Amino acid sequence: MTQPTRTTCPFCLNGCTSGVEFNGVEHKMHYFTDAEVNQGRLCPRGNSASIVIDHRDRLCRPLLDGRDTTWLEAEALVRRWLSEVKPEELGIVYSRGRAADEIRRLHGLAQELGTPNLACGHIEPENAFNYRLEGVPDATLADIESAKTMLLVGDVFSTSPVASWRILEARYKDRKNRMVVVDSVRTRQAGFAHVFVQVRPGTEPFALVALAALIDPKVAPAVEVDRYAALAGVKRQGLEAAAAMLGPSVPGFVGSAMHTGRVHHPALHSLASQLVAKASTKPFTGFRETELPFGPMRFSDLRKAMGDGKLRMLFWTGGLFPSSYGDLLPETAKVERLVATSIFKPDPPVTGLVLPMTAELERASVGRSYWGSIERSPLASPLSGTRAFGRVLEWFGQAVEKSEATVSPSGVGEVLAMATRAAELARADGELLLVGEKKAIGLRGFHDSEDEVSIGRADAARFGVSGRNYLRVKSPTAEREFRVRVTDGVPHGVLLVGVNVHSNRCLFPLVEDELTGEVTVPPVGVTMEKTERVPVAGGENLSVWA
Amino acid sequence: MKRIVLRPDYCIGCRSCEAACRSMFKGEARIRHGEVTADTLLPQGCRHCEEPLCAAACPFQVIVRNPETGVVRKSDFHCVGCRSCALACPFGVIQPALVRHMSQKCTLCSDRPEGPRCVQTCPTGALQFVEEEKLTEKRAGVAFAVRSVHGRRL
Repeated sequence: MTQPTRTTCPFCLNGCTSGVEFNGVEHKMHYFTDAEVNQGRLCPRGNSASIVIDHRDRLCRPLLDGRDTTWLEAEALVRRWLSEVKPEELGIVYSRGRAADEIRRLHGLAQELGTPNLACGHIEPENAFNYRLEGVPDATLADIESAKTMLLVGDVFSTSPVASWRILEARYKDRKNRMVVVDSVRTRQAGFAHVFVQVRPGTEPFALVALAALIDPKVAPAVEVDRYAALAGVKRQGLEAAAAMLGPSVPGFVGSAMHTGRVHHPALHSLASQLVAKASTKPFTGFRETELPFGPMRFSDLRKAMGDGKLRMLFWTGGLFPSSYGDLLPETAKVERLVATSIFKPDPPVTGLVLPMTAELERASVGRSYWGSIERSPLASPLSGTRAFGRVLEWFGQAVEKSEATVSPSGVGEVLAMATRAAELARADGELLLVGEKKAIGLRGFHDSEDEVSIGRADAARFGVSGRNYLRVKSPTAEREFRVRVTDGVPHGVLLVGVNVHSNRCLFPLVEDELTGEVTVPPVGVTMEKTERVPVAGGENLSVWA
Repeated sequence: MKRIVLRPDYCIGCRSCEAACRSMFKGEARIRHGEVTADTLLPQGCRHCEEPLCAAACPFQVIVRNPETGVVRKSDFHCVGCRSCALACPFGVIQPALVRHMSQKCTLCSDRPEGPRCVQTCPTGALQFVEEEKLTEKRAGVAFAVRSVHGRRL
């Protein structure tokens, strides 16, 4: 067994220290109990590091149209393709997996090549935490530890389980400490709350703006609290109870999280959470897996350009791999020359060139966590056959680092105007709304099949289904059969599915946020029908044994 | 003699324990989340019983309890994958699914002096590895009192 290597986990922004040791055959996780942030604790994602390193589906040869090719041929092909297209016909998309310095090089490369088509393809709503409200500080570890009152918006515990340790410690530290949770689903986290404000899916910003107005009417003046409460589907008394706990005189923090299929307007969700922080004079943290700057072009515009046939070559690097999301992004099929990077073998195969990359865990990088800047060292040697991203960039050009554009902080007036606009856009949900549930799971083969759909008891009775039945759920983009899970946690008119697996993500169409123009993945209206499949024998709900 | 205990007050259902176990054994986790109520999944691992029924049921005496450490261990070398242990376990914590033709059973990570991986990785400290005597003391007090999951202390 070799000495354990040590790094900062790249799978979310909590900055946990993780490590692996190599026994000559495979890598095993090592837990560093002296680490300041996590003291050896890791979430399922962090625990999957050794599995990612040793995964048998790692890509170690370039693929051209699904067939093996050599690096020399790949380089020659990329150079030829580049010579065949004009700068404005080249699109570049980056997503999670690319380090901050690599993204800066991509910005420099786009400038050098003269293409304006550089976009961030990370479509998870969490990227909207790039929208900041002026005058709201970032929370520190000390803020969390000394918190006497805390507001959690969305499922923070599932986004950053290790961060939940400090939050729970603070919550239990004193019997007078208080926790408020605002979410559309009664999650495990909501079970810890003193006040749980259960809103209609995607309407958190309305509840938050009303909450801010109740905490400090000077910060959010002229807000019609009753109207916003009604839009969120909550009672004013619930918000008043939460406002009383979050008073400005009590130290605490506001934390917010969001993910696929849960929010309608991610930017407003982020800003409204910060508005509560501002009203209650508390610091703020947007809990998320990654932090990627927006590109000079919006991803929605790049999609349109692809759809209109204006792009003849696409360089896609990082997550949200085109092959995985081909049915959500059919525009990619219209691009004649696709160059993509991946650490895993694409499934299904991609038409174009796929280059095997060194994984995040196998290279050094610098970045930021919620609690400050971090440095990452390689956890393992690069897989034979893969190449560092920088070497591939050299084929395209010099790629000198250039600082990316940042979103300037918004003022309170802008947030309230966005909320007003969102209230105008609010429409009645259909009979059934499908919402997503994302857990901190590992990568590839490290999660359950997510073939259950959760439904509330009242709806189960209304539709005559029980835990023994199967349902076929149809969305505008896809349909899938699920086993039924009857639960109290899901509100009326809502179906809940896990969105870690691709087959479930396909149920949620990508739409353009009317407030910002960014691509987002909101809850979606669906229909369902009981299938003819033979009901499962056993209890109402299926356990892990079924 | 040390035991794994769960503080339900702290469990957030993240399944890190399961992930750590699965990461070690590259496949099947030996601690799994099972339903306590329709809405509540809690980790359920081997209790390392004083009189293990899995050992009694094993036709080849592959499962043996070490009286000194209290660890109930299974020898993979002699296991034939008959699943008798999985059927006999009163807590249902031995998975019926076979890995390399063998049933999978918790060993309390005897290879690690620091203790089981599931305990070490638990993000909130809900899983604890404590001396049995200490546990008995604490049972009378507060720290390890089992509460209803929906009736968390406020």
